[in-house]
Amino acid sequence: MPKLDLLLMFAGVVLSLIVFSYLLGDKLFFGISMYLLVGVTTGYAAVVLLKRVLLPMLVMPLMDLPTIPGLLALIPLLLSLLLVWSLFKKSSKIATLPLNILTGILLATAIFGIVRGTLAPQLLSIVDAFDPKLVVKGNLPNWTAIFEAFMMLLGVISVLFFFHHRNKRDKVYESPRPWMEGIKVVGQMFIGITFGAVFVGLFSTGLIALIASLERIIDFVRLWL
Amino acid sequence: MKDRQGIVIIALAGILFLLALFFQPKTSAILNVIINWTIVLSSVALLLAVARLITTHMRHIAVGRRGFLFSLVFFAAFAAAFIGGMFMGEGNPEYLKWIRAIQLPLETALLGLLALVMMSLAVKVFRERGWSVLTISFGVSALFFLFLNLGFLKSGVNPGLDRFVIALKSLPVIGARGLLIGVALGALVMGLRVLFGQVVENE
Repeated sequence: MPKLDLLLMFAGVVLSLIVFSYLLGDKLFFGISMYLLVGVTTGYAAVVLLKRVLLPMLVMPLMDLPTIPGLLALIPLLLSLLLVWSLFKKSSKIATLPLNILTGILLATAIFGIVRGTLAPQLLSIVDAFDPKLVVKGNLPNWTAIFEAFMMLLGVISVLFFFHHRNKRDKVYESPRPWMEGIKVVGQMFIGITFGAVFVGLFSTGLIALIASLERIIDFVRLWL
Repeated sequence: MKDRQGIVIIALAGILFLLALFFQPKTSAILNVIINWTIVLSSVALLLAVARLITTHMRHIAVGRRGFLFSLVFFAAFAAAFIGGMFMGEGNPEYLKWIRAIQLPLETALLGLLALVMMSLAVKVFRERGWSVLTISFGVSALFFLFLNLGFLKSGVNPGLDRFVIALKSLPVIGARGLLIGVALGALVMGLRVLFGQVVENE
């Protein structure tokens, strides 16, 4: 194995051990490793932003200025300068202009994404479950599909109902009607099942990562045995 | 109302952009230009945030504030990654090897630590919330899916059991769908309120 690879492997083992030292109550080395990670990631992100975004999308078009792309690049340049200026003149209203525009555009993107990417597909999938082609099989009702469609509808309504009837202190409102209580119980059940499945997914990923880290340490130790 | 002009600009930019998004592909050309401007502006904003972070840590080092050692580590790591990337190029295999050698073990070990923390948190949920419909369904579901993920229930042995397992596997999707719709509706209302200045006005 080349010396550089061996050195990098050693660094990886030391960093893994430092992270696991948190379990023994160590704060100093764990903190150092976290700041190291943040520093490296920030440095890499800054390089990528400069070289992959700002150079080709802002600086390069300005090089051939009389052209349309060059002229169009003047607007983000002006807004960027105003953004930099806002660091020094916080009270200036014109300096907040780029941030306000950015907020508006990002909000619009979020709203569009929620409507087109989440709400519409999720609601449509519930409606699609009641598709006559699915619930009728050879002129006879397909009871499995009908049951599944009603379960889905009940599950979604009960989850939404449960969340709607929670107050800010994270407690459920006492409802005088028994059927309301029943829907809330069903909602809680579905939420519990979902969280359980999500928990297992995350836990399994974590466990695999833990095994990979331990394997890295064992492999390094084996090199010297 | 504190900043009427700001609210008007946010609302105007947001509504115009929303209209442009809904009237695609007629507005595709202008949309591309605006998206490029937004990417540039967001990048500048991110770089400014990075610059602010660095100045804060440099101040900590200069003053010798408690925990300045962490700031020193941060600054050294940032400088090495930044200078290396600027000179060698962000796609250079050697440079990426070094970056990966630091990021990968740290992130993997952190994820491994997360598994252990999650385990203790799950026990804490039962201890603090007691036995309720939510905690019982959570526990039963977690045990069932853990059992399933470990591969104890093999498919193809019994068709009836296979169908039952598939039906049980679809249960979290129903809850997730309800949660997603709820979160999306909440986010939509919040987004519209901010867009029309209602939240800023109330504050």
